[in-house]
Amino acid sequence: MLTKNTKIIVFFLFILLGAVLITYGAVFHSTNVLPQNQDGSPAVAKSEPALIKEASVGGVRRDESGKIKQTYTGQSPEACAT
Amino acid sequence: MPMVEKTKLSKLASKFIGWRMWVQSAFLLVWLDPLGLRMHTVCSPVFHCYACPLSTFACPIGIIAQFGALHIFPFIAVGLLIAVGVLFGTLICGWVCPFGFLQDLVAKVPTPRFDLPKWTGNLRYVVLIVTVLAVPYFFGEGHWLFVCRVCPAGALEAAVPNMVGQAIGGKEIIWPSALKLTILGLFLIAIFFIKRPWCRILCPLGAIFSLFNRVSALFLRFNPYQCTECKQCHKMCEYGIEPEKSPNDSRCVRCLECVGCGPGALTLGSIFENSKTNTPLDIEKLE
Repeated sequence: MLTKNTKIIVFFLFILLGAVLITYGAVFHSTNVLPQNQDGSPAVAKSEPALIKEASVGGVRRDESGKIKQTYTGQSPEACAT
Repeated sequence: MPMVEKTKLSKLASKFIGWRMWVQSAFLLVWLDPLGLRMHTVCSPVFHCYACPLSTFACPIGIIAQFGALHIFPFIAVGLLIAVGVLFGTLICGWVCPFGFLQDLVAKVPTPRFDLPKWTGNLRYVVLIVTVLAVPYFFGEGHWLFVCRVCPAGALEAAVPNMVGQAIGGKEIIWPSALKLTILGLFLIAIFFIKRPWCRILCPLGAIFSLFNRVSALFLRFNPYQCTECKQCHKMCEYGIEPEKSPNDSRCVRCLECVGCGPGALTLGSIFENSKTNTPLDIEKLE
């Protein structure tokens, strides 16, 4: 069984890890996403919160070349997986 | 016989146990987006489909799976689950999660209830690894085992309301896949005969939180000196756990019903409490 002090150390390590991950994701992490209209426009860097919003409506896909593409934005389509 | 001094936290927990449904109802208002905020840039720590017309936040499991399909690490969702998990463990399942609340409400219907073998609790980890991590990463979101494609929460909270909306609006109804409808049907039958079947057998979010039960800041404390071995806690636990043997069992949803046992051998504790005989270590020393 873990001692009280070990538990406190483990707790703070996990809290620190969680805080670092959230901060990095919210502030620094971004991904290049190709725009919806495939007219040769350059990819746009989207922050992780913005990408969460797009992913929540299934509006981003990864193509075979590994690039992330925006398929639509706004409301999820009626044929959404969920 | 050494006595465990009741701390402020355990006294507070004892007061709130009878109010658990009201606490769950209050949290339900947070998740059901009554103000229409649609804050889908943020994940919640509960199992509630983001495709639901009434959802304030994004589902962390759906986001982890979607990001897996994109081959992007979901820093925010993982960070949130680690932070919340290490603070509360599965207390989130028992007191905060709307999908657990739904199953608790149905459990009020007086139907015969069947118990589950202990090993079924491990299926949650299989669901987590297969449908949330491996399948999205290796096969993408189009695979039939992608978590959102088989999730009963998605079917119940998003597909059904959307189908009703389509029917009312006179539009063509878009049906979910046969697999998803089958899972939804089985789930709706199971909740009448098994206590919290989703949480106990398949929930990947519960699987993540259960990993933190033994190290979380809030934990269930057992004092062997106050236990009279009356086994009252066995009867109080609806999840087939023997709380005196494993108070922080990974299968526990921390409903805290067992805290109400007569001898008071089980209490809600915190790793920060300073009471003389209130930590697992202190109890070990007494032995």
